[in-house]
Amino acid sequence: MKHKGDFLNLLRHADTLMDDAEVARETFEVDIERKQNLIGAAPKPISDALQFPSHGKPTPGTTLEIPEATTVVAMRYQNGIIIAGDRRATAGTSIVHDRAEKVLPIDAHSVLAISGAPAMAYEIARVLKHSFQYFRRSQLQELSVEGKLRTLSRLIRDNLPMAMQGIGAVIPIFALYAPQTDEAENGGKIYFYDALGAHFENVDFATTGSGSIWIRGVLRYLDRWGDTRLEDMDQRQATITILRLLDTASEYDAATSGYNAKAEIFPTVKTITHEGVENLTEVYLKECYLEAT
Amino acid sequence: MRDLPYRWIEAIQDRRDYIEDQLRLGSPVVGLPYENGSLLLTVTKGAQKIFEVHDRIALSAIGHPADIEQLRMLVTDTASVQAFQSATEDVNLHRLTHYVLAHTFKQAFEAIVGEAYIIKMLLVEIGDGDAKTQFTHINYDGNVNIHDDSAVIGGTTEIENAMQDYLITEQSDTGCDLATTIQLALKTWAVGRELSQRFEEAEDNIEVTDEQIDEILKTELEEGEIEIGILDNTLPADTKFRILSQDEIQGLTN
Repeated sequence: MKHKGDFLNLLRHADTLMDDAEVARETFEVDIERKQNLIGAAPKPISDALQFPSHGKPTPGTTLEIPEATTVVAMRYQNGIIIAGDRRATAGTSIVHDRAEKVLPIDAHSVLAISGAPAMAYEIARVLKHSFQYFRRSQLQELSVEGKLRTLSRLIRDNLPMAMQGIGAVIPIFALYAPQTDEAENGGKIYFYDALGAHFENVDFATTGSGSIWIRGVLRYLDRWGDTRLEDMDQRQATITILRLLDTASEYDAATSGYNAKAEIFPTVKTITHEGVENLTEVYLKECYLEAT
Repeated sequence: MRDLPYRWIEAIQDRRDYIEDQLRLGSPVVGLPYENGSLLLTVTKGAQKIFEVHDRIALSAIGHPADIEQLRMLVTDTASVQAFQSATEDVNLHRLTHYVLAHTFKQAFEAIVGEAYIIKMLLVEIGDGDAKTQFTHINYDGNVNIHDDSAVIGGTTEIENAMQDYLITEQSDTGCDLATTIQLALKTWAVGRELSQRFEEAEDNIEVTDEQIDEILKTELEEGEIEIGILDNTLPADTKFRILSQDEIQGLTN
Protein backbone atom coordinates (compact mmCIF):
# COMPACT_ATOMS: atom_id res chain seq x y z
CA MET A 1 0.00 0.00 0.00
CA LYS A 2 2.97 2.30 0.34
CA HIS A 3 2.70 3.48 -3.27
CA LYS A 4 -1.04 4.13 -2.90
CA GLY A 5 -1.71 3.06 -6.43
CA ASP A 6 0.86 5.45 -7.95
CA PHE A 7 2.63 3.48 -10.65
CA LEU A 8 5.41 6.04 -11.22
CA ASN A 9 6.16 6.01 -7.52
CA LEU A 10 6.29 2.22 -7.59
CA LEU A 11 8.78 2.26 -10.45
CA ARG A 12 10.91 4.84 -8.67
CA HIS A 13 11.10 2.65 -5.59
CA ALA A 14 11.77 -0.42 -7.70
CA ASP A 15 14.90 1.35 -8.96
CA THR A 16 13.62 0.91 -12.46
CA LEU A 17 12.07 4.22 -13.28
CA MET A 18 13.21 5.43 -16.59
CA ASP A 19 14.26 8.82 -15.30
CA ASP A 20 14.43 10.30 -18.76
CA ALA A 21 12.18 13.14 -17.78
CA GLU A 22 14.19 14.02 -14.71
CA VAL A 23 17.49 13.74 -16.54
CA ALA A 24 16.14 15.89 -19.32
CA ARG A 25 14.87 18.47 -16.86
CA GLU A 26 18.28 18.67 -15.19
CA THR A 27 19.99 18.93 -18.59
CA PHE A 28 17.61 21.69 -19.52
CA GLU A 29 18.30 23.63 -16.33
CA VAL A 30 22.07 23.26 -16.75
CA ASP A 31 21.76 24.33 -20.36
CA ILE A 32 19.79 27.44 -19.42
CA GLU A 33 22.32 28.29 -16.70
CA ARG A 34 25.21 27.86 -19.13
CA LYS A 35 23.56 30.11 -21.69
CA GLN A 36 22.81 32.68 -19.00
CA ASN A 37 26.47 32.73 -17.99
CA LEU A 38 27.54 33.15 -21.59
CA ILE A 39 25.25 36.01 -22.51
CA GLY A 40 24.63 37.41 -19.05
CA ALA A 41 20.89 37.44 -19.53
CA ALA A 42 18.19 36.10 -17.31
CA PRO A 43 16.63 32.85 -18.59
CA LYS A 44 13.24 33.26 -20.11
CA PRO A 45 10.63 31.86 -17.74
CA ILE A 46 8.93 28.79 -19.13
CA SER A 47 5.49 30.23 -18.48
CA ASP A 48 6.37 33.19 -20.72
CA ALA A 49 7.94 31.13 -23.39
CA LEU A 50 5.30 28.49 -23.97
CA GLN A 51 2.23 29.13 -26.00
CA PHE A 52 -0.40 26.93 -27.50
CA PRO A 53 0.80 25.10 -30.59
CA SER A 54 0.82 27.48 -33.48
CA HIS A 55 0.51 24.89 -36.21
CA GLY A 56 3.87 24.42 -37.72
CA LYS A 57 5.60 27.58 -36.56
CA PRO A 58 7.96 27.37 -33.57
CA THR A 59 7.02 29.90 -30.91
CA PRO A 60 9.66 32.64 -30.79
CA GLY A 61 12.05 32.40 -27.86
CA THR A 62 11.84 28.63 -27.48
CA THR A 63 13.10 25.54 -29.18
CA LEU A 64 9.68 23.90 -28.76
CA GLU A 65 8.96 21.61 -31.66
CA ILE A 66 5.35 21.76 -32.66
CA PRO A 67 3.78 18.48 -33.78
CA GLU A 68 3.72 18.54 -37.52
CA ALA A 69 2.89 15.19 -38.88
CA THR A 70 -0.54 13.89 -38.02
CA THR A 71 -4.25 14.38 -38.07
CA VAL A 72 -6.22 12.87 -35.23
CA VAL A 73 -9.83 13.74 -34.64
CA ALA A 74 -12.47 12.79 -32.07
CA MET A 75 -16.16 13.65 -31.97
CA ARG A 76 -19.21 12.75 -29.97
CA TYR A 77 -21.89 10.79 -31.77
CA GLN A 78 -25.13 9.11 -30.73
CA ASN A 79 -23.57 6.21 -28.76
CA GLY A 80 -20.43 7.86 -27.39
CA ILE A 81 -17.19 8.91 -29.04
CA ILE A 82 -15.71 8.14 -32.43
CA ILE A 83 -11.98 8.77 -32.70
CA ALA A 84 -9.69 8.38 -35.70
CA GLY A 85 -6.18 9.02 -36.91
CA ASP A 86 -4.28 8.79 -40.17
CA ARG A 87 -1.43 6.27 -40.50
CA ARG A 88 1.49 8.35 -41.79
CA ALA A 89 4.74 8.95 -39.90
CA THR A 90 7.15 11.50 -41.35
CA ALA A 91 10.66 12.75 -40.68
CA GLY A 92 11.19 16.10 -42.36
CA THR A 93 9.95 15.70 -45.88
CA SER A 94 10.28 11.92 -45.91
CA ILE A 95 7.46 9.47 -45.32
CA VAL A 96 8.99 6.84 -43.04
CA HIS A 97 5.98 4.67 -42.26
CA ASP A 98 2.46 4.35 -43.62
CA ARG A 99 0.98 2.04 -41.03
CA ALA A 100 1.55 3.95 -37.80
CA GLU A 101 -1.03 3.51 -35.05
CA LYS A 102 -1.93 6.87 -33.55
CA VAL A 103 -5.16 5.91 -31.79
CA LEU A 104 -4.17 3.79 -28.83
CA PRO A 105 -6.55 2.02 -26.44
CA ILE A 106 -5.55 2.70 -22.84
CA ASP A 107 -8.16 0.74 -20.93
CA ALA A 108 -11.62 -0.69 -21.48
CA HIS A 109 -13.21 2.78 -21.79
CA SER A 110 -10.45 5.19 -22.79
CA VAL A 111 -8.31 5.98 -25.81
CA LEU A 112 -5.35 8.25 -26.44
CA ALA A 113 -4.92 9.77 -29.91
CA ILE A 114 -1.39 11.06 -30.30
CA SER A 115 0.28 13.78 -32.28
CA GLY A 116 3.89 14.71 -31.89
CA ALA A 117 7.08 12.75 -31.44
CA PRO A 118 6.14 9.05 -31.64
CA ALA A 119 8.79 7.85 -29.18
CA MET A 120 7.50 10.14 -26.43
CA ALA A 121 3.87 9.62 -27.36
CA TYR A 122 4.07 5.82 -27.32
CA GLU A 123 5.91 5.88 -24.00
CA ILE A 124 3.33 8.21 -22.48
CA ALA A 125 0.56 5.87 -23.71
CA ARG A 126 2.37 2.86 -22.26
CA VAL A 127 2.94 4.48 -18.86
CA LEU A 128 -0.66 5.64 -18.83
CA LYS A 129 -1.96 2.15 -19.55
CA HIS A 130 0.17 0.57 -16.83
CA SER A 131 -0.77 3.35 -14.38
CA PHE A 132 -4.51 2.78 -14.80
CA GLN A 133 -4.06 -0.99 -14.49
CA TYR A 134 -1.86 -0.68 -11.43
CA PHE A 135 -4.30 1.64 -9.68
CA ARG A 136 -7.18 -0.79 -10.29
CA ARG A 137 -5.20 -3.84 -9.20
CA SER A 138 -3.67 -2.31 -6.10
CA GLN A 139 -6.52 -0.09 -4.88
CA LEU A 140 -9.34 -2.45 -5.94
CA GLN A 141 -11.24 0.26 -7.77
CA GLU A 142 -11.08 2.04 -11.13
CA LEU A 143 -9.23 5.33 -11.23
CA SER A 144 -11.73 8.21 -11.48
CA VAL A 145 -12.07 10.27 -14.67
CA GLU A 146 -10.36 13.21 -12.93
CA GLY A 147 -7.59 10.92 -11.72
CA LYS A 148 -6.99 9.67 -15.27
CA LEU A 149 -6.86 13.22 -16.62
CA ARG A 150 -4.34 14.28 -13.98
CA THR A 151 -2.13 11.26 -14.57
CA LEU A 152 -1.89 12.20 -18.25
CA SER A 153 -1.29 15.88 -17.34
CA ARG A 154 1.62 14.82 -15.17
CA LEU A 155 3.18 12.72 -17.92
CA ILE A 156 2.89 15.52 -20.48
CA ARG A 157 4.33 18.03 -18.00
CA ASP A 158 7.22 15.66 -17.26
CA ASN A 159 7.91 15.57 -20.98
CA LEU A 160 8.20 19.35 -21.14
CA PRO A 161 12.01 19.50 -20.96
CA MET A 162 12.21 17.12 -23.89
CA ALA A 163 9.74 19.28 -25.78
CA MET A 164 11.75 22.43 -24.91
CA GLN A 165 14.91 20.87 -26.23
CA GLY A 166 13.23 20.08 -29.49
CA ILE A 167 13.46 16.35 -28.88
CA GLY A 168 9.73 15.90 -28.99
CA ALA A 169 6.50 17.51 -27.87
CA VAL A 170 3.34 15.45 -27.46
CA ILE A 171 -0.13 16.98 -27.88
CA PRO A 172 -2.73 14.25 -27.48
CA ILE A 173 -6.48 13.97 -27.45
CA PHE A 174 -7.78 11.83 -24.61
CA ALA A 175 -11.26 10.43 -25.06
CA LEU A 176 -13.20 8.22 -22.69
CA TYR A 177 -16.63 7.02 -21.79
CA ALA A 178 -17.65 7.35 -18.14
CA PRO A 179 -19.33 3.94 -17.70
CA GLN A 180 -21.18 4.95 -14.57
CA THR A 181 -23.17 7.46 -16.63
CA ASP A 182 -26.90 6.90 -16.89
CA GLU A 183 -27.50 4.83 -20.02
CA ALA A 184 -29.95 7.43 -21.33
CA GLU A 185 -27.12 9.99 -21.44
CA ASN A 186 -24.03 10.10 -23.60
CA GLY A 187 -21.08 9.46 -21.26
CA GLY A 188 -18.50 10.24 -23.95
CA LYS A 189 -15.94 12.89 -23.05
CA ILE A 190 -13.17 14.44 -25.14
CA TYR A 191 -10.18 16.25 -23.65
CA PHE A 192 -7.54 18.28 -25.41
CA TYR A 193 -4.12 18.88 -23.83
CA ASP A 194 -1.51 21.57 -24.31
CA ALA A 195 2.24 20.97 -24.11
CA LEU A 196 2.31 21.95 -20.41
CA GLY A 197 -0.24 19.33 -19.47
CA ALA A 198 -3.32 21.51 -19.01
CA HIS A 199 -6.48 19.76 -20.12
CA PHE A 200 -9.66 21.21 -21.53
CA GLU A 201 -12.88 19.40 -22.20
CA ASN A 202 -14.10 19.81 -25.76
CA VAL A 203 -17.78 19.16 -25.64
CA ASP A 204 -18.45 18.06 -29.21
CA PHE A 205 -15.17 17.50 -31.05
CA ALA A 206 -11.40 17.95 -30.95
CA THR A 207 -8.65 17.62 -33.49
CA THR A 208 -4.89 18.02 -33.34
CA GLY A 209 -1.82 17.59 -35.51
CA SER A 210 -0.69 19.45 -38.58
CA GLY A 211 -3.77 18.57 -40.62
CA SER A 212 -6.15 19.72 -37.91
CA ILE A 213 -6.27 23.33 -39.12
CA TRP A 214 -7.93 22.19 -42.33
CA ILE A 215 -10.79 20.41 -40.64
CA ARG A 216 -11.47 22.26 -37.39
CA GLY A 217 -13.64 24.78 -39.20
CA VAL A 218 -15.43 22.02 -41.08
CA LEU A 219 -16.25 20.28 -37.79
CA ARG A 220 -17.64 23.48 -36.40
CA TYR A 221 -19.71 24.04 -39.57
CA LEU A 222 -21.11 20.52 -39.54
CA ASP A 223 -21.92 20.65 -35.86
CA ARG A 224 -23.71 23.98 -36.16
CA TRP A 225 -25.32 23.91 -39.57
CA GLY A 226 -25.04 20.36 -40.86
CA ASP A 227 -28.20 18.37 -41.68
CA THR A 228 -27.51 16.21 -38.62
CA ARG A 229 -25.60 17.51 -35.61
CA LEU A 230 -22.50 15.45 -34.83
CA GLU A 231 -23.96 14.23 -31.56
CA ASP A 232 -27.11 13.01 -33.30
CA MET A 233 -25.29 10.93 -35.92
CA ASP A 234 -25.45 7.15 -35.80
CA GLN A 235 -22.26 5.10 -36.06
CA ARG A 236 -22.32 4.83 -39.85
CA GLN A 237 -22.95 8.54 -40.39
CA ALA A 238 -20.22 9.39 -37.87
CA THR A 239 -17.75 6.99 -39.51
CA ILE A 240 -18.41 8.41 -42.98
CA THR A 241 -18.03 11.96 -41.65
CA ILE A 242 -14.76 11.22 -39.87
CA LEU A 243 -13.33 9.46 -42.96
CA ARG A 244 -14.27 12.46 -45.12
CA LEU A 245 -12.60 14.79 -42.60
CA LEU A 246 -9.35 12.79 -42.69
CA ASP A 247 -9.53 12.72 -46.46
CA THR A 248 -9.88 16.51 -46.49
CA ALA A 249 -6.90 16.90 -44.15
CA SER A 250 -4.79 14.63 -46.33
CA GLU A 251 -5.65 16.72 -49.38
CA TYR A 252 -4.02 19.82 -47.91
CA ASP A 253 -1.47 18.44 -45.44
CA ALA A 254 1.41 16.42 -46.87
CA ALA A 255 2.10 14.83 -43.49
CA THR A 256 -1.39 13.29 -43.27
CA SER A 257 -2.20 10.18 -45.26
CA GLY A 258 -5.55 9.39 -46.80
CA TYR A 259 -7.03 6.01 -47.67
CA ASN A 260 -4.44 4.09 -49.66
CA ALA A 261 -6.60 2.10 -52.08
CA LYS A 262 -3.65 0.34 -53.70
CA ALA A 263 -2.23 -1.05 -50.46
CA GLU A 264 -5.61 -1.04 -48.68
CA ILE A 265 -4.34 0.98 -45.75
CA PHE A 266 -7.17 2.55 -43.81
CA PRO A 267 -7.10 5.15 -41.06
CA THR A 268 -7.49 3.79 -37.53
CA VAL A 269 -11.05 4.38 -36.33
CA LYS A 270 -12.34 3.39 -32.90
CA THR A 271 -15.58 3.94 -31.02
CA ILE A 272 -15.90 4.31 -27.26
CA THR A 273 -19.34 3.50 -25.93
CA HIS A 274 -20.92 2.19 -22.74
CA GLU A 275 -19.80 -1.30 -23.84
CA GLY A 276 -16.17 -0.21 -24.18
CA VAL A 277 -13.60 0.50 -26.88
CA GLU A 278 -14.23 -1.08 -30.29
CA ASN A 279 -11.90 -1.06 -33.27
CA LEU A 280 -13.86 -0.61 -36.50
CA THR A 281 -12.83 -3.32 -38.94
CA GLU A 282 -11.24 -2.71 -42.32
CA VAL A 283 -14.21 -4.41 -44.00
CA TYR A 284 -16.58 -1.94 -42.37
CA LEU A 285 -14.31 1.01 -43.19
CA LYS A 286 -14.11 -0.09 -46.82
CA GLU A 287 -17.91 -0.14 -47.03
CA CYS A 288 -18.06 3.32 -45.49
CA TYR A 289 -15.39 4.60 -47.87
CA LEU A 290 -17.42 3.46 -50.86
CA GLU A 291 -20.32 5.43 -49.46
CA ALA A 292 -18.20 8.40 -48.47
CA THR A 293 -16.54 9.06 -51.81
CA MET B 1 18.57 -20.30 19.53
CA ARG B 2 20.02 -21.33 16.18
CA ASP B 3 23.07 -22.84 17.93
CA LEU B 4 20.73 -25.21 19.78
CA PRO B 5 19.25 -27.35 16.98
CA TYR B 6 16.70 -29.16 19.08
CA ARG B 7 15.28 -25.93 20.45
CA TRP B 8 15.13 -24.52 16.91
CA ILE B 9 13.15 -27.51 15.67
CA GLU B 10 10.89 -27.21 18.67
CA ALA B 11 10.40 -23.52 18.01
CA ILE B 12 9.52 -24.22 14.36
CA GLN B 13 7.00 -26.84 15.46
CA ASP B 14 5.46 -24.39 17.94
CA ARG B 15 5.22 -21.84 15.19
CA ARG B 16 3.59 -24.38 12.86
CA ASP B 17 1.01 -25.27 15.52
CA TYR B 18 0.28 -21.62 16.19
CA ILE B 19 -0.22 -20.74 12.51
CA GLU B 20 -2.38 -23.78 11.81
CA ASP B 21 -4.50 -22.96 14.81
CA GLN B 22 -4.98 -19.44 13.46
CA LEU B 23 -5.85 -20.69 9.96
CA ARG B 24 -8.23 -23.45 11.06
CA LEU B 25 -11.45 -21.41 10.85
CA GLY B 26 -10.57 -19.60 7.65
CA SER B 27 -13.23 -19.58 4.94
CA PRO B 28 -12.00 -22.05 2.25
CA VAL B 29 -11.38 -21.08 -1.36
CA VAL B 30 -12.08 -23.27 -4.39
CA GLY B 31 -10.40 -22.89 -7.77
CA LEU B 32 -11.90 -24.66 -10.80
CA PRO B 33 -11.65 -24.44 -14.58
CA TYR B 34 -14.77 -23.86 -16.67
CA GLU B 35 -15.45 -23.67 -20.40
CA ASN B 36 -14.11 -20.11 -20.87
CA GLY B 37 -11.35 -20.01 -18.25
CA SER B 38 -11.13 -20.47 -14.50
CA LEU B 39 -12.85 -19.27 -11.37
CA LEU B 40 -12.04 -18.72 -7.72
CA LEU B 41 -14.91 -18.93 -5.25
CA THR B 42 -15.29 -18.30 -1.53
CA VAL B 43 -17.85 -16.95 0.92
CA THR B 44 -16.97 -13.77 2.79
CA LYS B 45 -18.44 -11.53 5.42
CA GLY B 46 -17.27 -8.20 4.06
CA ALA B 47 -13.65 -7.96 3.06
CA GLN B 48 -12.73 -8.85 -0.52
CA LYS B 49 -10.72 -12.08 -0.76
CA ILE B 50 -10.27 -12.62 -4.50
CA PHE B 51 -7.92 -10.30 -6.35
CA GLU B 52 -6.56 -9.53 -9.80
CA VAL B 53 -2.77 -9.83 -9.95
CA HIS B 54 -2.18 -9.41 -13.65
CA ASP B 55 -3.90 -9.84 -17.02
CA ARG B 56 -4.23 -13.63 -16.70
CA ILE B 57 -3.44 -14.21 -13.02
CA ALA B 58 -5.72 -14.06 -9.98
CA LEU B 59 -5.15 -14.66 -6.28
CA SER B 60 -7.04 -15.60 -3.16
CA ALA B 61 -5.89 -16.43 0.35
CA ILE B 62 -6.94 -17.31 3.85
CA GLY B 63 -5.17 -15.95 6.91
CA HIS B 64 -4.54 -12.67 8.64
CA PRO B 65 -5.90 -9.75 6.56
CA ALA B 66 -2.73 -7.67 7.08
CA ASP B 67 -0.53 -10.51 5.84
CA ILE B 68 -2.79 -11.15 2.85
CA GLU B 69 -2.65 -7.48 1.94
CA GLN B 70 1.12 -7.27 2.29
CA LEU B 71 1.77 -10.31 0.13
CA ARG B 72 -0.92 -9.42 -2.38
CA MET B 73 0.82 -6.07 -2.88
CA LEU B 74 4.22 -7.74 -3.15
CA VAL B 75 3.10 -9.98 -5.98
CA THR B 76 1.00 -7.27 -7.70
CA ASP B 77 3.86 -4.75 -7.55
CA THR B 78 6.36 -7.27 -8.89
CA ALA B 79 4.09 -8.31 -11.76
CA SER B 80 3.35 -4.68 -12.65
CA VAL B 81 7.00 -3.64 -12.68
CA GLN B 82 8.07 -6.69 -14.70
CA ALA B 83 5.31 -6.14 -17.24
CA PHE B 84 6.38 -2.53 -17.68
CA GLN B 85 10.09 -3.28 -17.84
CA SER B 86 9.78 -6.02 -20.43
CA ALA B 87 6.34 -7.15 -21.59
CA THR B 88 3.09 -8.47 -20.21
CA GLU B 89 3.84 -11.85 -21.81
CA ASP B 90 6.93 -12.16 -19.60
CA VAL B 91 4.86 -12.13 -16.43
CA ASN B 92 3.85 -15.65 -15.47
CA LEU B 93 2.72 -17.53 -12.42
CA HIS B 94 5.74 -19.80 -12.33
CA ARG B 95 8.17 -16.91 -11.96
CA LEU B 96 6.00 -15.05 -9.44
CA THR B 97 5.60 -18.19 -7.33
CA HIS B 98 9.15 -19.47 -7.30
CA TYR B 99 11.15 -16.26 -7.41
CA VAL B 100 8.94 -13.95 -5.34
CA LEU B 101 6.40 -15.62 -3.09
CA ALA B 102 7.72 -19.04 -2.04
CA HIS B 103 11.01 -17.87 -0.62
CA THR B 104 9.34 -14.88 1.06
CA PHE B 105 6.97 -17.26 2.85
CA LYS B 106 9.79 -19.63 3.78
CA GLN B 107 12.13 -16.96 5.08
CA ALA B 108 9.45 -15.43 7.28
CA PHE B 109 8.41 -18.85 8.58
CA GLU B 110 11.90 -20.01 9.51
CA ALA B 111 13.14 -16.72 10.93
CA ILE B 112 11.81 -17.66 14.33
CA VAL B 113 12.69 -14.38 15.98
CA GLY B 114 10.56 -12.52 13.45
CA GLU B 115 6.91 -12.61 12.51
CA ALA B 116 5.65 -15.42 10.32
CA TYR B 117 2.93 -14.87 7.76
CA ILE B 118 -0.37 -16.38 8.78
CA ILE B 119 -1.49 -17.25 5.30
CA LYS B 120 -2.26 -19.87 2.70
CA MET B 121 -2.49 -18.64 -0.86
CA LEU B 122 -4.12 -19.94 -4.01
CA LEU B 123 -3.20 -18.44 -7.38
CA VAL B 124 -4.50 -19.29 -10.82
CA GLU B 125 -3.21 -18.47 -14.28
CA ILE B 126 -5.29 -19.18 -17.36
CA GLY B 127 -3.57 -20.54 -20.41
CA ASP B 128 -3.09 -18.69 -23.65
CA GLY B 129 -2.51 -20.72 -26.78
CA ASP B 130 -0.33 -23.69 -25.87
CA ALA B 131 0.10 -22.67 -22.23
CA LYS B 132 -2.03 -24.66 -19.79
CA THR B 133 -4.20 -23.34 -16.99
CA GLN B 134 -2.42 -23.77 -13.69
CA PHE B 135 -3.46 -23.56 -10.05
CA THR B 136 -0.75 -22.93 -7.47
CA HIS B 137 -1.16 -23.53 -3.76
CA ILE B 138 1.43 -21.90 -1.48
CA ASN B 139 1.56 -22.92 2.16
CA TYR B 140 2.64 -20.57 4.96
CA ASP B 141 6.03 -22.37 5.12
CA GLY B 142 6.75 -21.75 1.42
CA ASN B 143 5.79 -25.19 0.15
CA VAL B 144 4.33 -25.00 -3.35
CA ASN B 145 1.88 -27.42 -4.95
CA ILE B 146 0.88 -27.06 -8.57
CA HIS B 147 -2.36 -28.48 -9.95
CA ASP B 148 -3.76 -28.60 -13.47
CA ASP B 149 -7.39 -29.50 -12.82
CA SER B 150 -8.44 -27.76 -9.63
CA ALA B 151 -7.13 -26.59 -6.27
CA VAL B 152 -8.46 -25.63 -2.85
CA ILE B 153 -7.25 -23.94 0.29
CA GLY B 154 -8.76 -24.71 3.66
CA GLY B 155 -7.91 -24.33 7.30
CA THR B 156 -5.94 -27.59 7.58
CA THR B 157 -4.41 -30.18 5.28
CA GLU B 158 -7.15 -32.65 6.30
CA ILE B 159 -9.86 -30.19 5.26
CA GLU B 160 -8.12 -29.60 1.94
CA ASN B 161 -7.81 -33.35 1.32
CA ALA B 162 -11.51 -33.86 2.05
CA MET B 163 -12.43 -31.03 -0.32
CA GLN B 164 -10.21 -32.49 -3.05
CA ASP B 165 -11.76 -35.93 -2.53
CA TYR B 166 -15.22 -34.40 -2.93
CA LEU B 167 -14.08 -32.69 -6.14
CA ILE B 168 -12.66 -35.92 -7.55
CA THR B 169 -15.98 -37.67 -6.87
CA GLU B 170 -18.20 -34.92 -8.24
CA GLN B 171 -16.12 -33.28 -10.97
CA SER B 172 -17.32 -34.92 -14.19
CA ASP B 173 -15.90 -32.66 -16.84
CA THR B 174 -13.45 -29.76 -16.77
CA GLY B 175 -15.28 -27.99 -19.59
CA CYS B 176 -18.55 -27.27 -17.79
CA ASP B 177 -20.40 -24.00 -18.13
CA LEU B 178 -20.01 -21.28 -15.52
CA ALA B 179 -23.25 -21.97 -13.63
CA THR B 180 -22.53 -25.72 -13.24
CA THR B 181 -18.96 -25.03 -12.15
CA ILE B 182 -20.12 -22.49 -9.58
CA GLN B 183 -22.53 -25.06 -8.10
CA LEU B 184 -19.72 -27.58 -7.73
CA ALA B 185 -17.36 -24.98 -6.27
CA LEU B 186 -19.98 -23.84 -3.78
CA LYS B 187 -20.66 -27.40 -2.58
CA THR B 188 -16.93 -28.05 -2.26
CA TRP B 189 -16.62 -24.85 -0.26
CA ALA B 190 -19.43 -26.10 2.02
CA VAL B 191 -17.55 -29.38 2.62
CA GLY B 192 -14.52 -27.41 3.78
CA ARG B 193 -16.59 -25.07 5.91
CA GLU B 194 -18.46 -27.89 7.60
CA LEU B 195 -15.21 -29.70 8.45
CA SER B 196 -13.52 -26.58 9.80
CA GLN B 197 -16.41 -26.11 12.21
CA ARG B 198 -16.52 -29.68 13.45
CA PHE B 199 -12.79 -30.28 13.67
CA GLU B 200 -12.62 -29.65 17.37
CA GLU B 201 -14.99 -32.53 17.98
CA ALA B 202 -13.62 -35.43 15.93
CA GLU B 203 -10.63 -35.06 13.69
CA ASP B 204 -11.21 -38.37 11.91
CA ASN B 205 -14.84 -37.64 11.02
CA ILE B 206 -14.58 -36.28 7.49
CA GLU B 207 -17.83 -37.52 5.98
CA VAL B 208 -20.13 -34.72 4.83
CA THR B 209 -23.57 -35.58 3.52
CA ASP B 210 -25.58 -33.65 0.90
CA GLU B 211 -28.02 -32.61 3.64
CA GLN B 212 -25.17 -31.17 5.68
CA ILE B 213 -23.90 -29.30 2.61
CA ASP B 214 -27.34 -27.76 2.03
CA GLU B 215 -27.67 -26.90 5.70
CA ILE B 216 -24.30 -25.20 6.00
CA LEU B 217 -24.85 -23.23 2.80
CA LYS B 218 -28.20 -22.04 4.09
CA THR B 219 -26.70 -20.97 7.41
CA GLU B 220 -23.55 -19.37 6.05
CA LEU B 221 -25.25 -17.44 3.26
CA GLU B 222 -27.56 -15.74 5.75
CA GLU B 223 -24.64 -13.62 6.93
CA GLY B 224 -22.02 -14.10 4.24
CA GLU B 225 -21.90 -13.41 0.50
CA ILE B 226 -20.57 -15.59 -2.29
CA GLU B 227 -17.54 -14.00 -3.91
CA ILE B 228 -16.43 -15.16 -7.35
CA GLY B 229 -13.56 -13.95 -9.48
CA ILE B 230 -13.24 -15.27 -13.02
CA LEU B 231 -10.47 -15.29 -15.57
CA ASP B 232 -12.41 -15.33 -18.82
CA ASN B 233 -10.51 -15.97 -22.05
CA THR B 234 -13.39 -14.59 -24.10
CA LEU B 235 -13.11 -11.06 -22.66
CA PRO B 236 -11.91 -8.76 -25.46
CA ALA B 237 -9.59 -6.65 -23.28
CA ASP B 238 -6.04 -7.72 -22.34
CA THR B 239 -7.21 -8.13 -18.76
CA LYS B 240 -9.18 -11.34 -18.44
CA PHE B 241 -10.10 -10.97 -14.76
CA ARG B 242 -13.33 -9.69 -13.36
CA ILE B 243 -15.30 -10.03 -10.15
CA LEU B 244 -18.87 -11.19 -10.69
CA SER B 245 -21.49 -8.83 -9.33
CA GLN B 246 -23.96 -10.06 -6.72
CA ASP B 247 -26.74 -9.84 -9.33
CA GLU B 248 -24.77 -12.07 -11.69
CA ILE B 249 -24.06 -14.56 -8.90
CA GLN B 250 -27.74 -14.66 -7.95
CA GLY B 251 -28.65 -15.35 -11.56
CA LEU B 252 -26.08 -18.13 -11.85
CA THR B 253 -26.85 -19.87 -8.54
CA ASN B 254 -30.67 -19.84 -8.62
